[in-house]
Amino acid sequence: MKLIVNGMELDVVSPPLTPLLHVLRDELDITSPKAGCQQGGCGTCTVLVDGEPRRSCLTAVATVDGAAITTVEGLGERDALSPVQAAFHRHYAAQCGFCTPGMVIAATALIERAGGPVERDDVLEALGGHYCRCTGYVKIIDAVMAASRGEVEEIEDVPVSVAGEPEVQPKGSPA
Amino acid sequence: MKAVGARLPRYDGVGHVTGRTQYVDDVRVGRNLWVKALRSPHHHASITSLDTGKAEQMKGVHAVVTHLDVPKNVYGHLEGLGVPADEPLLAEGDVRYKGQPIAAVAAESEAAAMAAVEAIEIRYEERPALFDIRQALDPDAPQIHQWGNVYPHYGPYNHRRVRKGDIDRAFDDADVIVEGVYRPQAIEQMPMETQVALVVPEASGRLTIYSCTQAMYFSMGVVAAHLQVPLNKLKFVGGTVGGGFGGKVDTASETICALLALKSRRPVKWRWTREEEFLASSTRAPWHIELADAVTKDGWILGRRTLTLHDSGAYARFSPYGLTKHAFHHSGAYTIPNLRFDGFVAFTNRVPTTAMRGFGVTSVSFAVETHLNRIAEVLGLDPWELRLKNANRIGDTSGNGVVLKDPSTVPVTLAAADRVGTELSASFRAMTPEPRTGDLLPAHLVAQQSLNGERA
Amino acid sequence: MTADVLVPTSADEAASLYGDGAGITVVGGGTILLPEIAVGRAKPERALMLHRAGLGTIEVAGDRVVIGAMAPISAVADVPDGALGQVARHLADGEIRRTATVGGNIAAAAAADAQRGDLGAPLIALGARVRSTGAGGERIEPIEEFLAGDRGRLVLDVQYDRFERRSGTAALRRRHAHSFSVAAVVACARPDGSDLRIGVSGVGPTAVRCRAVEQSRDAADVLSDVEPIDDAVASAAYRRAVLPKLVRDALDQLEPA
Repeated sequence: MKLIVNGMELDVVSPPLTPLLHVLRDELDITSPKAGCQQGGCGTCTVLVDGEPRRSCLTAVATVDGAAITTVEGLGERDALSPVQAAFHRHYAAQCGFCTPGMVIAATALIERAGGPVERDDVLEALGGHYCRCTGYVKIIDAVMAASRGEVEEIEDVPVSVAGEPEVQPKGSPA
Repeated sequence: MKAVGARLPRYDGVGHVTGRTQYVDDVRVGRNLWVKALRSPHHHASITSLDTGKAEQMKGVHAVVTHLDVPKNVYGHLEGLGVPADEPLLAEGDVRYKGQPIAAVAAESEAAAMAAVEAIEIRYEERPALFDIRQALDPDAPQIHQWGNVYPHYGPYNHRRVRKGDIDRAFDDADVIVEGVYRPQAIEQMPMETQVALVVPEASGRLTIYSCTQAMYFSMGVVAAHLQVPLNKLKFVGGTVGGGFGGKVDTASETICALLALKSRRPVKWRWTREEEFLASSTRAPWHIELADAVTKDGWILGRRTLTLHDSGAYARFSPYGLTKHAFHHSGAYTIPNLRFDGFVAFTNRVPTTAMRGFGVTSVSFAVETHLNRIAEVLGLDPWELRLKNANRIGDTSGNGVVLKDPSTVPVTLAAADRVGTELSASFRAMTPEPRTGDLLPAHLVAQQSLNGERA
Repeated sequence: MTADVLVPTSADEAASLYGDGAGITVVGGGTILLPEIAVGRAKPERALMLHRAGLGTIEVAGDRVVIGAMAPISAVADVPDGALGQVARHLADGEIRRTATVGGNIAAAAAADAQRGDLGAPLIALGARVRSTGAGGERIEPIEEFLAGDRGRLVLDVQYDRFERRSGTAALRRRHAHSFSVAAVVACARPDGSDLRIGVSGVGPTAVRCRAVEQSRDAADVLSDVEPIDDAVASAAYRRAVLPKLVRDALDQLEPA
């Protein structure tokens, strides 16, 4: 079998009924999709199959033979984050981070499909099957809507004082 | 202090959004074995026979462990705090909750491990089970714990006690007694990452343990105690935990994996399924809380009687500690001069309970705050005013006699009222946490006051 | 996995390999089967994977709609007459609907303590017929009979006739994704009220046709058609309490606006 994973064509030897999740994680060592429940209930395993978000834990690998698979590793990297990745980071949409890959994939597909700004209800519909136990979802929704509006902001690091200049002032509560 | 108040990026944020953050299940150490456990299908039963011979011979199986393989099977998490040990790592002789681990298998694949678990020969004799903590003190209830159905090691007592003032007098003096029963239920923390452990036996004879525990040094001590090895034989590697919320303070998966790693001499990984997480991982405890407040018509709380039953599940774990915290907070953020608190840790044939988000305190806060609203309703008083009147102030003392130096009840209550747009009269809006005087210091609150910082 | 895997490339080959079903585990979308394999409750020995058998098409002709068993549930969101799409849109979530199949939803093994198959209700109301193969060969039967039967058959497609009809849907669901309905009622009838058919799902192991209500038009009669169960979603008592109201609501929607 073959899979085109994040643009790279790979031969796959796992048995046909192996969930795509385990082919990615255990055969190919691509670990961003997570085994949160292995029942399709949580969304941490979501990847794109030919551009569509699917639960990789529910997808037998034989059924996607030859398909293009996209995981977050294929969306962007530290020095070149995708708009959705950057928005999630900017808006504090991740705490423990375990749900984040699935959320980012689902959000990326939503925005790609919409081709422009999305409403809150669109986000709820697209991400409705994804659980997060840490954030309370508000910042995730904010991040997705911001990304859909093309809002790209610099990620600032810890402010550094320069000798002779005033100490950097706090910018107000982060909450 | 340039970071305080600044809007800083999370140091792990980029790792999270690029999928590079490493959780235990993402660690790669070369080919590892996979673990599956034999778990009790019964709520309460004796184990009359256990034979792992067939399982050990199955294809792909490297090791099977039972209680016989554990150098010290019964070790208490809180032995250092005076809570004796009661819980076996692997069941020995009996099982006391559905899902309790009895044996574990390390094999070449999860499927091979599951097949081996099914080949373990075991026979049970079911026993009556106890689920209702209200029966815990009933002598006719099934006896399900070697200590009796109630934790007996609070000094000379089988319950946590708080006594302050003269509760009987308070109840005599009251205009109304307001009672309520509050029963917050068990909650599964449900972190997105299930429990997972990876143990690697090193050439040096040490074990490297990748753990999702919330408390690394604590877990290190637990593993060392069960294995009866010095701490320097263990190297714990933590890292990013995919959510814990209290549910990963009492992980036992590392210890069981360590036993299998020692026996098989191979890296061993145990990744719990979501079903296992719901069935066998510890939950927040259910509670049964009975409050009876002696109150006056004009809204003073003269005294409170509290009976709490905390459902510890089958074993003690951290429950004695949780109940102690609960006892400390049972008067809430309010000054109640006469108190009688009795709290029992009760055992049931449920999965042992543990911490979750404010262990012991969220339950009593829920009960206390709901009860205050009930009092307001009974008396026909405004619930905000009732709170502000009874709120802790500087120089008031808590249920345990702690002198309050800077209680925030008044400013927080006022801020909350403001935030939700509740109108308060001028006199209430003007309240402060300053020591009680005048109308805010009726005769019954004088004795508990401690203005010179010493206990009343 | 040590399963033998069979991958037919036509419906005929699928039927032939299926035979009478003995020893065969059918793999449709996999949304029900893969989780069972993951926890060791299903151990297929011979797995019949249908993804290449050409069973995934949806044909909309002038007089009928034929939905292949392997059509993903997401694909029926827009089939004509609306009742099916109305229910399908609430199944699981969008990602799962792309993988789960209509055939799987129909063929899902009935369990005594858990109800599945929410598509059963609209399909009953649409008068759908299931074409299946198995012991005794191929047959076509009304879906309510298929659901009530022994179920050890391979679903090939489901079809219903197109004609002018009104439909009414009333369902009680939890307010989040992934919840099986507490109860769902779908009613269809011709504009003059004839050919009334009512399907109810969520109340038991399978969806059920409400013949008593079809006869009497009295919503309360639903309780003689169904025997609601207790499960993790809702209690039987609660279902009994809400069902007549849902039936009433669905019937009211059939009235001209």
